[in-house]
Amino acid sequence: MADFGIGVPDELARLSLGNGAEQQASRAPDMNSAGIVAVDITDRFSLAVKTLEPGELVKDEFFTLFESVGALEIMDPKMDSGCIKPGDEFEELYDVRQPLLPEEVLGIIDQLICHEMSWHLGYPLSQTLFTSVYVEALSMPNPVGIEQAIFVRDPKDKSNDQPMLQVLRAYCLGLLKACGYVNERVRAEHSYEEEDFVTNTYNRTLLANVPTDAIRAAITEAKGLLQKLRSDSGHSYRAEVIDALEVRLELRDIFLQATECPQYIKEPNLAQIPWQQGISLLPALKSTHHLCKPVDDSFSAKLQRKLASTIPPRPIVQLGFDDAFENLTRLFQDGLEIIGVLQYTDTQCLQACVSALQSKKPQPLVYVRTLLQTFLFDAMEVLGSMSIRQLIDDDLSIITLPASPLLDRANDEIEVVHDPRFIVSQQMEFFRQRAAQPFLDILRTLCQNRCRVRRTLCHTVRAWDNLQVDAEEVDQVVQAQLKESPLSHMFLDATQHADSLPLSLSSWAYFYKLRQMEWIVQLGFELEVYQGDELAGMYWYLNYLAKCRLRHLERIKSFTVRRAEEIRALKTHENVYAGLQTRQLERSLSFVRLSLLDAAATWELSDALSCLYTVLGRLGLVKPPGRPYSNDEFRYELRMKPFASIGLPELPSFEDFTAGTKQPGTSTDDILEYCERSLMGAKRAFETMTRLPPAESFSVGSHERWLGTAKNALKSCIAAGLVVKTIQVALRKREKADLKFKVEIPTPDKAYHDWWLIPKLTPLP
Amino acid sequence: MAQTAEPPQELHFVQYNHSLEAQYLPAIRALISKDLSEPYSIYVYRYFLCQWAHLCFMALSPVDGSLVGVIICKLEVHAVHSTPTRRGYIAMLATASPYRGRGVATALVKMAIDAMAVRKADEIVLETEEDNLSAMRLYERLGFLRSKKLHRYYLNGNSAYRLVLLLRSVDPDSSPGLGEGAITE
Repeated sequence: MADFGIGVPDELARLSLGNGAEQQASRAPDMNSAGIVAVDITDRFSLAVKTLEPGELVKDEFFTLFESVGALEIMDPKMDSGCIKPGDEFEELYDVRQPLLPEEVLGIIDQLICHEMSWHLGYPLSQTLFTSVYVEALSMPNPVGIEQAIFVRDPKDKSNDQPMLQVLRAYCLGLLKACGYVNERVRAEHSYEEEDFVTNTYNRTLLANVPTDAIRAAITEAKGLLQKLRSDSGHSYRAEVIDALEVRLELRDIFLQATECPQYIKEPNLAQIPWQQGISLLPALKSTHHLCKPVDDSFSAKLQRKLASTIPPRPIVQLGFDDAFENLTRLFQDGLEIIGVLQYTDTQCLQACVSALQSKKPQPLVYVRTLLQTFLFDAMEVLGSMSIRQLIDDDLSIITLPASPLLDRANDEIEVVHDPRFIVSQQMEFFRQRAAQPFLDILRTLCQNRCRVRRTLCHTVRAWDNLQVDAEEVDQVVQAQLKESPLSHMFLDATQHADSLPLSLSSWAYFYKLRQMEWIVQLGFELEVYQGDELAGMYWYLNYLAKCRLRHLERIKSFTVRRAEEIRALKTHENVYAGLQTRQLERSLSFVRLSLLDAAATWELSDALSCLYTVLGRLGLVKPPGRPYSNDEFRYELRMKPFASIGLPELPSFEDFTAGTKQPGTSTDDILEYCERSLMGAKRAFETMTRLPPAESFSVGSHERWLGTAKNALKSCIAAGLVVKTIQVALRKREKADLKFKVEIPTPDKAYHDWWLIPKLTPLP
Repeated sequence: MAQTAEPPQELHFVQYNHSLEAQYLPAIRALISKDLSEPYSIYVYRYFLCQWAHLCFMALSPVDGSLVGVIICKLEVHAVHSTPTRRGYIAMLATASPYRGRGVATALVKMAIDAMAVRKADEIVLETEEDNLSAMRLYERLGFLRSKKLHRYYLNGNSAYRLVLLLRSVDPDSSPGLGEGAITE
């Protein structure tokens, strides 16, 4: 999925990539060899340089933008982190031994929470947590055990014993260890370094060598200290501040447990506990924030000088506590929610669940998204217990192969090489191996940030195009075998004409390819990729794709229905699998019903919106910019680039696209009338969908979100209907003058639904 | 047609060349760094200016010849994905604030596009910050489309849009030749 950049920001991002947890210090090469004769070239160099103009570039062909971006100008304070302003000190002089008030410890902790969340949001440790002198004191030199992880590295130094410093230390230990877990998780799964998250630790280990148990013990100990202080009257500490500190230590302990939740992948109820505990503790964190006394001095950008990095000094990221708290709350809520995917029902519910979670706004944080990937794919098993074969077979049995002999595990037992079942088993295994990657990639892709989802789909759709071709070959081999086999009676009708061949595997691949093509267009709306005057065309193309899906689903349905009839005919006789087969067929029929409804709704609503934007274009209410350097045909080529190489469905010609978008032969009144009818159709389809129970809408585990989305689509239909009415009324009343409206196309965050952008009309005086 | 007002008549538009470095590079850097969270080193500028001086244009004040606006570009064969293309890239564009809203940037972009079109660019691309609506409007008025959104593209955490202007149909069967490398004439 590599996508090399071309601009300066791309290269800046690549600069800080190379890092390991612990890097070897570089050493000068050993020059004491008999074969090496050193020659001083200073004079020759000076002479040669004199022949150059100042600023002339001397470079070989390997000097790229990357190298030029990597160059630093020494003594420029903005680039050279070692450059010290006159009167300033190189070292940060803050003394970690100084006594702290409980309010100050609270202030430091809450600032650390802000920095921790900034890191989760994608900023590097160098500009967040690693600007804390306390974090630095615990991190360097790298402690090899808990006893070394103290602020003052002299165990005899009494300042370590101050209760408030012990509380702060316990908090920081829990914080750094949790960050270590988070970093490991993010590195292990697929995400985009720098754009999603920065895993660089600049030679710090995040306490990799300190055991978690020891850290949890230190937290418990510190909590004990606070309890002692609470009952001790020999100090002036306020009880509410002591309580607030305890809440924060408790949260650290819970977060550590939460980061270890993948070990309970087979026991979702246990995995959920720390996330639930965190959620119930969070209000107490927020309500005590006002007790803080900030200690700004204990954070310094100067600490960046100590980090193993060549990047220029960058400012400390400032995230407000309220923002940080909101993100922290989201982290716990989303963390809890994703554990829901472990309650597996079937592949379609799983996809719906992942998709619903990932389309949340704002999207779950990277850590949650990578945790979800761990649940989905850890150790080549899906959701901790299913093989990829189970997953693919389950999906095939829902979409195109219900109650099919192709998925019969007994085929694997046949050893006679000429037996058709042996060949079918072999072919199916070949197909699974071929399909596994693209199939799992759908889930993996959905776990990425939304921009990447769209970009990645533009690549995966081509992989599915190829898969479909390969699948068709397998289909034909399998078909030929089954014709001769004892299983052939199941397909007798189907083999009568080529047209009626089920081609189940390629049909499955085609279904997914169409879905992905629709997603690319729909995400284009969500990510505001299209300009106002492009909407008529993009909804027209979405309509084209939905139509293809609908027709394809009708084809799939006819085979499922026929299969159901065959099984029914067998039932009374000797079919021992009748119960299981009937259940599978019912599930497939439910799925095809849902998909037909969804495709029809998409067809009708995209048709209506394409018409609506065509009318707005005609009336001059949505105007295209001048575009002196472009023409319609080039822009069509550019827009359709992701789809141009796809064999089926064929890319509509530019002429068809233009005719479909402009509708030259149709009057505006007729278009609006047609638009109304389409909206009615879309509304009916969405209404029917919203009445489906979770099992029939394949949204077990995410039904509420699924229903919410369907209802929002329904609202979009109603809103679009009102706009059509407004235009119709205005057109009827209109004398010769133009319609006086201001048209606003809402951004997705202001629309009912990210994918259905309904224009807003405001009458002008 | 683009409804931008014509740039002030009196401005001088000049194609950059190396002999102007001492006079204008400090001003170019100052103008461009204003909008950057982190300055580019002088080598970044020289990387572009020394190789593609013919794709860099400056708008100068007629009064004192001071820099009012600048555009910096490159043009190379791009072959990371699929069909290799001759891809122009607008790397930097800036106008001094007192001169904004007067079409200076549009005039500079047009000069750059024309220069790249003469050198047979297939397409011209650039990135712009997602909330820089005026820049997007400028490019979109000329014919650019947003092709993709780039998540957290900039150091400040902002996302970007990649904008693309297709200048000629890109036929997958005819490539401009991979061996050519950078065009540095």
